[in-house]
Amino acid sequence: MPQASPELSSSVKLKYVKLGYQYLVNHILTLLLIPIMVGVLIEVLRLGPDEILNLWNSLHFDLVQILCSSFLIIFATTVYFMSKPRSIYLVDYACYKPPVMLRVPFATFMEHARLVLSSQPKSVEFQTRILERSGLGEETCLPLTVHYIPPRPTMEAARDEAQLVIFSAMDSLLNKTGLKPKDIDILIVNCSIFSPTPSLSAMVINKYKMRSNIKSFNLSGMGCSAGLISIDLARDLLQVHPNSNAVVVSTEIITPNCYQGNQRAMLVPNCLFRMGGAAILLTNRRWEHRRAKYRLVHVVRTHKGADDKAYRCVMEEEDPEGKVGISLSKDLMVIAGEALKTNITTTGPLVLPASEQLLFLLTLIGRKIFKQNWKPYIPDFKLAFEHFCIHAGGRAVIDELQQNLQLSAEHVEASRMALHRFGNTSSSSLWYELSYIEAKGRMKKGDRIWQIAFGSGFKCNSAIWKCNRSIEPPRDGPWLDCIHRYPVHIPEVVKL
Amino acid sequence: MVSSDHLNLVYDIKLSSVGPGHVTGSDVVHEPSNMDLAMKLHYLRGVYFFSSEAVQGLTVYRIKEPMFTWLNHYYWTCGRFRRSNSGRPLIKCNDCGVRIIEAKCDKTIDEWLEMKDSSLTKLLVSNHIVGPELPFSPLVFLQVTSFKCGGMSLGLSWAHVLGDAFSASDFINMWGQAMANQLPQHPVDLPKSSFMLVKPANRSQLATDPLSIKRVDPVGDNWITVNNCKMEPFSFHITATQLTQLQAKISGHKATPPFECLCTIFWQSIARVCSRHEPEIVTVCKNERGSRRTGTLSNSAQIISTVKADFSVKEAKPKDVAALLVEHAVDERGLIEAAVERDGGVSDFIIYGANLTFVNLEEASFYGLELNGQKPVHVSYLIDGIGDEGVVLVAPPGPKDSGKDSNEGKIVTVILPEDQVMELKSELKREWSIA
Repeated sequence: MPQASPELSSSVKLKYVKLGYQYLVNHILTLLLIPIMVGVLIEVLRLGPDEILNLWNSLHFDLVQILCSSFLIIFATTVYFMSKPRSIYLVDYACYKPPVMLRVPFATFMEHARLVLSSQPKSVEFQTRILERSGLGEETCLPLTVHYIPPRPTMEAARDEAQLVIFSAMDSLLNKTGLKPKDIDILIVNCSIFSPTPSLSAMVINKYKMRSNIKSFNLSGMGCSAGLISIDLARDLLQVHPNSNAVVVSTEIITPNCYQGNQRAMLVPNCLFRMGGAAILLTNRRWEHRRAKYRLVHVVRTHKGADDKAYRCVMEEEDPEGKVGISLSKDLMVIAGEALKTNITTTGPLVLPASEQLLFLLTLIGRKIFKQNWKPYIPDFKLAFEHFCIHAGGRAVIDELQQNLQLSAEHVEASRMALHRFGNTSSSSLWYELSYIEAKGRMKKGDRIWQIAFGSGFKCNSAIWKCNRSIEPPRDGPWLDCIHRYPVHIPEVVKL
Repeated sequence: MVSSDHLNLVYDIKLSSVGPGHVTGSDVVHEPSNMDLAMKLHYLRGVYFFSSEAVQGLTVYRIKEPMFTWLNHYYWTCGRFRRSNSGRPLIKCNDCGVRIIEAKCDKTIDEWLEMKDSSLTKLLVSNHIVGPELPFSPLVFLQVTSFKCGGMSLGLSWAHVLGDAFSASDFINMWGQAMANQLPQHPVDLPKSSFMLVKPANRSQLATDPLSIKRVDPVGDNWITVNNCKMEPFSFHITATQLTQLQAKISGHKATPPFECLCTIFWQSIARVCSRHEPEIVTVCKNERGSRRTGTLSNSAQIISTVKADFSVKEAKPKDVAALLVEHAVDERGLIEAAVERDGGVSDFIIYGANLTFVNLEEASFYGLELNGQKPVHVSYLIDGIGDEGVVLVAPPGPKDSGKDSNEGKIVTVILPEDQVMELKSELKREWSIA
């Protein structure tokens, strides 16, 4: 006991020192302003009212001076307001909830894998091990074609899945927001693997009979981080086009993606990727800020493609038997960590409070100049954000980020639970996680959210949102029937 | 074996699985009763034929979708067998699912039924068995075959360890209710595990196996017995009028129930044609009314009794044999359970075909499966994995036959070694005018 209390008291003292330091640095301007204001006040009181009146009369203003000054002020104000970027609001979003008949229990997945790869027991065993440790639950869903033994993916089946997922999400979004299809000015659809002609965005325009002067874009091949790339593109377009609505549809179509060979590096996606999709409505119309849920603050994109290893770490290619699959390299986690570091280097200064930035700068200087073996200072991002949405790429990704950013279990809960309930839904996973936080009633006005997504290339993209109004747990949404069961404890290894 | 030109009759086979929509949870286990384990080497193969009106607008999606809610009520049929530490089989309820087979056929339903070839039924229903790998063997297979006329057949392949024919029939009928959105609200309770029906009289009875079962060589995890000869199924349709005539011929003034009449006829006829030995003991299986809870699956609600003849059956008077069947059947279920329990559920037995077995399926609601409000045009059931002594099934007739008579007609399906078939047919025609 005597040993514990000095340690305890010293750690408590350190905590207060840190708090004091943060308060000092973050409010430095206020703290400097107060003595100045007090000084001015004292001076004014000292002078007395008559003196002030004399001072006022001695200032001669003629008409020209007054006019020029006011023009200058008006001009400066106008330039300021014109050059300020438009605020981009997220009015609402809808996530696709697959029907229960598409669900894939572990046992069914393994039994089908055994039948399809009957001549490759080692590959089957490998898939079992991946599935046991994946962090997925028993309610994740795969499209109808993949339920067959063996799956026979055709283009028609892929289109059917695309229509099912995208149209359901769109219908839900239009319903929630009261938006009419003819009011959509910008449409961006992102789906990495499935890229037919005409594009998926054309498919949406055809189904909903949108206007002929709509600005549509279809992003393919950009991996799991394409969702945030679409948001970035929408933001840039909304800067150029005033009073516009943009709809972003993020999804990944699984049907053409199911690998039927036996290369281990290519079997992992089969175990993790599941059906999902989301539709998001963004706008720059000022009056929408009343009902908009979030405001987009920053989007930071980092691309490590210049490095060969990073470029090749997620590669779609043919295996020796000619079967196409997505190969994940063993260095994936390391590359992801590096991409994250680069992304943080840009994001940090934008979001971190001054206290953390100063500490980071001092530690950096210290390490460089004095060449001390100090550990690099990891800024405390928990001070900058209330909620984190980490792309549910797999359990390993979430573990890695939790460790790197020193996050608590509650911060990564949304990511882990979205992975458990829906699996890795690629670019739409961030929206399922955001939906989880809302469903739990944790989203309050003014909360800041950080969405981080990784993708092939290798890319790390961040989007930072600010909650615009307090959000009640929604009466619809993908978590409606199961949120009461969450959070669940996900064992390290599930015994199949 | 199906001949080679028949192999292409059914084509475009697609396999998939359907499980319960609701997650059963990890570590849920269903333990079969002793009676269930006694039946584990037997399989039921039922085929239901539906006209095109009954299945109008039914796509594969519409067929599969209600199955997920339906199987919530029978989640243990979607599990897989494991062996406990003692070697006793149990079902791990892991939602793996029932196997669905989709197929096509270029004949119309009428053309198919015209062919009257029972061996072709093998093409419409899976001949699966449980094993050789227990954890990866589905317990139920459903085959949906689309015919040229727009009609459909549903082949139910059912592991008898889950329940008897009455249970299987209830199981599939509930799917019909699910299709019509008429499922009961709450899933049914699991059937309770084994209970001793009849306390054995003395310890000497306990030591020996009862007459109705036969202990077979250990089959390991491959749950099927091998017959010494090829077994062939064939059916007779006995109309209501024929049945009344037969009853009159057998019992004269006292009315024997129709099932016992048919048993008498077939027992005597088989005794006369069977070259190896005359069957002195027969097993009779009947539904036990009142002991079955709706919607449960069980093997314990089917009475399995033996009848032993002290006299020569082929020479006896039919009414004596009938009287024997009605009055002297001994319920052996308690003894069967004791025999299984003795070895901890590890040994392998057969019941159907251990002796010449008569199974009364009159009360099974085979025609209770309705699609779009329509009953099937024809239903046939066979039992697979039976012993060499053969089985006679007495089933209810199709909807066209049940009518004004209080005695409905019957469909009698006989499964016997193929060398006895021709002689039996001629004996039945000669003696009883059954063709």
